[in-house]
Amino acid sequence: MEKNFIIAGFGGQGVLLAGEVLANAFMLDDKNVTWYPSYGAEMRGGTVNCEIVMNDSGDVSSVNKAETDFILALNQASFDRFLPKVKKGGWMIANSTLVEEKKSRDDINYFFVPVTKLADELGNSKMTNILSLGVLAKISKLTSLDTLEKALDNVLPAHRKNLLPLNCKALKIGYEYDLSAVK
Amino acid sequence: MTTLTQTFKIPESIKKGSKFSFCPGCDHGVAVRLVAEVLDELGLREKTIAVASIGCSVTLYDFLEVDSLEAPHGRALAEATGIKRARPDKFVFTYQGDGDFASIGMAESMHCALRGENVTAICINNTTYGMTGGQLGPTTLIGQVTTTSPTGRNVEYYGYPIKIAEHIALCDGTAYSARVSLDTVPNIRKAKAAIKKAFEIQQQGLGFSFVEILATCPTNWKKSPQKAHERVREEMMPIYKPGIYKDITANN
Amino acid sequence: MTECLTKTSKKVLTKGNYAIANAAVLAGCECYFGYPITPQSEIGEFMSGKMQELKRAYVSAESELAAINMVLGACATGAKAMTSSSSCAVALMQEALSYAASDELPIVLVSVMRGGPGLGNIYPSQGDYNQATIGGGNGDYKMIVLAPATVQECVDLTYKAFYLAHKYKNPTVLLADGLLGQMMEPVEFKEYPYPEVDNSDWALTGAKNRPGRIIRSYAPSADNQCEFLNKLHAKYKLIEENETEWEEINTEDADIILVSFGSPARNAKSAMKECRKLGLKVGLLRPITLFPFPSKRIAELAEKTKKFISVEINMGQMIRDIKLAVNGKAQVELLNRPVGNPPSVEEIVEKIKKESGV
Repeated sequence: MEKNFIIAGFGGQGVLLAGEVLANAFMLDDKNVTWYPSYGAEMRGGTVNCEIVMNDSGDVSSVNKAETDFILALNQASFDRFLPKVKKGGWMIANSTLVEEKKSRDDINYFFVPVTKLADELGNSKMTNILSLGVLAKISKLTSLDTLEKALDNVLPAHRKNLLPLNCKALKIGYEYDLSAVK
Repeated sequence: MTTLTQTFKIPESIKKGSKFSFCPGCDHGVAVRLVAEVLDELGLREKTIAVASIGCSVTLYDFLEVDSLEAPHGRALAEATGIKRARPDKFVFTYQGDGDFASIGMAESMHCALRGENVTAICINNTTYGMTGGQLGPTTLIGQVTTTSPTGRNVEYYGYPIKIAEHIALCDGTAYSARVSLDTVPNIRKAKAAIKKAFEIQQQGLGFSFVEILATCPTNWKKSPQKAHERVREEMMPIYKPGIYKDITANN
Repeated sequence: MTECLTKTSKKVLTKGNYAIANAAVLAGCECYFGYPITPQSEIGEFMSGKMQELKRAYVSAESELAAINMVLGACATGAKAMTSSSSCAVALMQEALSYAASDELPIVLVSVMRGGPGLGNIYPSQGDYNQATIGGGNGDYKMIVLAPATVQECVDLTYKAFYLAHKYKNPTVLLADGLLGQMMEPVEFKEYPYPEVDNSDWALTGAKNRPGRIIRSYAPSADNQCEFLNKLHAKYKLIEENETEWEEINTEDADIILVSFGSPARNAKSAMKECRKLGLKVGLLRPITLFPFPSKRIAELAEKTKKFISVEINMGQMIRDIKLAVNGKAQVELLNRPVGNPPSVEEIVEKIKKESGV
């Protein structure tokens, strides 16, 4: 089985880091995984995104995939840009604090969560990325909260380890977010 | 009873049986011999790695009994940097012409000095590209006729010549920078002293050391050896003044 | 970001560029000389810290010209030394690469390709296949060229690059692309698996108790040069016989064989599998060494296969080597993307369908 993810937002929202945590979690689950960023001029100011391809059949994954199983869009520009890339039956998970709740496709699943608002309530809007990663991971059913916490510990550099408890808290809020409460 | 002792002999560092292939009256032969004498006197030959550069100076490795590497044109001090960083216990020097050092290799030369690499560079300045037939180089004097400045070097077309030793002295990483001449016996002695000082500075690990040697090119200057040395004295030395431009070991 | 990379035997998630740099350190690289250029700057960044920590040589060179020549100098003493760069800056190094081939110096160059010609852009590319395999320097020379397709191979082939460079006293290129350089995958840093090569008969160490050694490429007489070039090319032939490496899947009954190296080979492999599911007889041949190129194997396959499709991120460079190997015995088609990410699996499948007449 091969599943792919795109995490997208604007520069500074920490989408590359969130993707790295997810990739790390798949590694800890003993799956093949590939993470690669979009990079270049668009890194400054515009949208930034990374793709994560998970493969549990022992194969090297392909890249530059035409369709995506799970897309996490943290801002409107990313939502608009990547909506057409969601695979039929796949998921568009969007940050409803910054994205208008509009469902123009009927062949995919939408999930709107006010992640920036939730992060603000937690006391740090910079937790948007990790909080939304929790939601994404829960919906995907492809890795556990426990593994993600270990992955976070792997990814946070030594001088940022003081932020680990807060990140874990954000992750948990996202992961345990009530899925049924959403339209 | 009188015993005879040989006071003038071929240095150990000169390859046995080798014969200089330089043109008659060219100062390269004197310069190479001075380098060999100093290597002998400081006992450096067996730990030396020399870097030869492109131009007449490349033949250095035919005459010295040392390990040597031939660098691409202008890159001698990059090669020397690589050698010294890989093997800091070795003695490393380059032997370059002015075109190699100060034209095509100016970036490598300046940056080697700026980094203060613990290597020595010897630069033969004869105000022309000798091996290719006497073209205008970075040190060609204003007014000097060469095959590519047929009416003499003018500023409009060619700009100004460079005073190498002065520029190198300005680099913070330079421990020693001198200009010497080989036109007379006293000056040859001074030249040897400068080479020795430069080598000692490397031995002491003090940084970049540099000796610019004013030299003749009778063939391309179209002068006899004697007239060529007169030109060094009368035309070159007033512009390229011999002297020690930097020596961090000197007491003021 | 980089601190975990010295661990061995446990997988770590890391970028291709860091994987290459850390593998070089583990391979015993004693000297790194470099100049920054995207998309490989992480290699120099990693090396700047790690080499100083290990008291090994590191220089932020003033240019790529200087960097590669510093590598030549260090290698002349027998040291393991490397530089890394990308496309337009590797172009600057061509003179020194020609010297290194002629001097028979074991230099290692990591070339992480970006868009060209000229300044181009920083997107992935395979536009320097020709630069690496044919060479931009003067004269009749060859470099060993290794092409990783995964981050794990970035590690394994970096080890191999140091070994082959020293074994054959030949410049060796690790040819990756910007996508591989920036891509993260779990990798394992096993111990350097190769023996150390004895260089005591040629390295410059000082003329102690022996005559002075000269490493030079200047050959004043034509006769000497003829003899030297014949000897050099006998070495290249030996390298072709001993070191040609490729991955081959499902070629035995294949009507169509995809040939692809580096990151596009990953998509070619997936496309091949998709096509097999559709009942199309498709195989894959992935060259791992680009010089030596698996020409002999392709020639054998051309006896029974109808078509080859070269999948590349350039305007079609490797296809020329495939055509030479096939020698008219089968059709050779190109599926390329000029620059950027590799052709997608879907595009490759479409191309295969079209070429199969489905």
